Amino acid sequence: MSVFSEFTKGFWKENPTFRLVLGMCPTLAVTTEAINGIGMGLATTFVLVFSNLLVSLLRKVIPDKVRIACYIVIVAGFVIIVELVMQAYFYSLYKSLGLFISLIVVNCIILGRAEAFASKNPVTESIADGLGMGLGFTCSLTVLGIIREILGNGSVFGVDILGGHYLPFLVMVVPPGAFVTLGLMLGFMNMAQSK
Amino acid sequence: MKDTLRLVIALTTICVVAAFALAMVYDVTKAPIAESLRKEKLAAIEAVLPEHDNQPDKEVQSIVLGKDKKGREQRLDFYIAKKEEQWVGTAFTSSAKGFGGKIVLMLGLSPDNNLVKVKVLQHKETPGLGAKIEREAFISQCVGKSLKSGKLKVTKDGGDIDAITGATISSRAVCDAVNNGLLDYAERFSKPDDNENVKLQSPNVK
Repeated sequence: MSVFSEFTKGFWKENPTFRLVLGMCPTLAVTTEAINGIGMGLATTFVLVFSNLLVSLLRKVIPDKVRIACYIVIVAGFVIIVELVMQAYFYSLYKSLGLFISLIVVNCIILGRAEAFASKNPVTESIADGLGMGLGFTCSLTVLGIIREILGNGSVFGVDILGGHYLPFLVMVVPPGAFVTLGLMLGFMNMAQSK
Repeated sequence: MKDTLRLVIALTTICVVAAFALAMVYDVTKAPIAESLRKEKLAAIEAVLPEHDNQPDKEVQSIVLGKDKKGREQRLDFYIAKKEEQWVGTAFTSSAKGFGGKIVLMLGLSPDNNLVKVKVLQHKETPGLGAKIEREAFISQCVGKSLKSGKLKVTKDGGDIDAITGATISSRAVCDAVNNGLLDYAERFSKPDDNENVKLQSPNVK
């Protein structure tokens, strides 16, 4: 496979949220608003790209028996960097994502890509894979965030679009709404795939 | 044995390198983080105080409430607003238990103990129901009230604050928080006798 196809597969064919169904905890929790989806997605992308890069670089040095421990240290390191930088320079986003930034550490997409891809492939492919997977994840979260924000709050990216007469469909911004939206999206993706 | 040593060395090296990298990032971001925390606090304080020309977060009168389980001091800070050296208001936080968790309010009081403004700093109420306590239409009902004017209760309990439909518990909790705050203030903060030349005395802890 070429570097380019490693990059594009994350958007549709192996989309982490809708096809691999990985990393559901942040997906369900932070997608109450579109902007949160983008913020979470980009933070994850950053961690994913750099952890893939390092894991791929070190893939011949890291002994097999302690590889998971090594990957976790690398991933956790980058997550804390993201957290500190966000807190320092994007404080309002940091506040709205809250605890879920630290929880990127246990997002299975990241460890999954490190284990399944970066530990077996050269650096360029691994970066492409991380970038594609990360941006695919970002797109999925943003789509979910947009749907939930429109129905649950009548706005997109904080801008009112449905006007004052719209009575918000509140269930969409609480956790059950996340499950319903995700389920419907998965269904649509499967339908589109099977045709 | 040789194999074990290799594992230990690899893992240790990675951890040490990671620790150094984090220490460096921490060092760089320390000042901006402190600044954004301060800005957030200042914004909350400013929002509830009347017009002033000092920096209220620099003029703090605090009292020690006691110690928590870990032995850390629990303090209540009163932020003092002044205009042309005259005391024009005081801001402080107060909290109560709501429907989903703790509700924290910032209260702004004028020197004659009336509420100037109230702002919700933190809450975990249900979105769309209890979360409406943040809205101006609800929270501004407290403005102008004081302990003496009373009736800081929801209408159901005989007060004159209209509760949010479907969120009586959250509305009640906000009233509780306001009342607790006012009581704390009245109990512990002494008004200077000499109003002409305002120099705040240290609060009386009764």
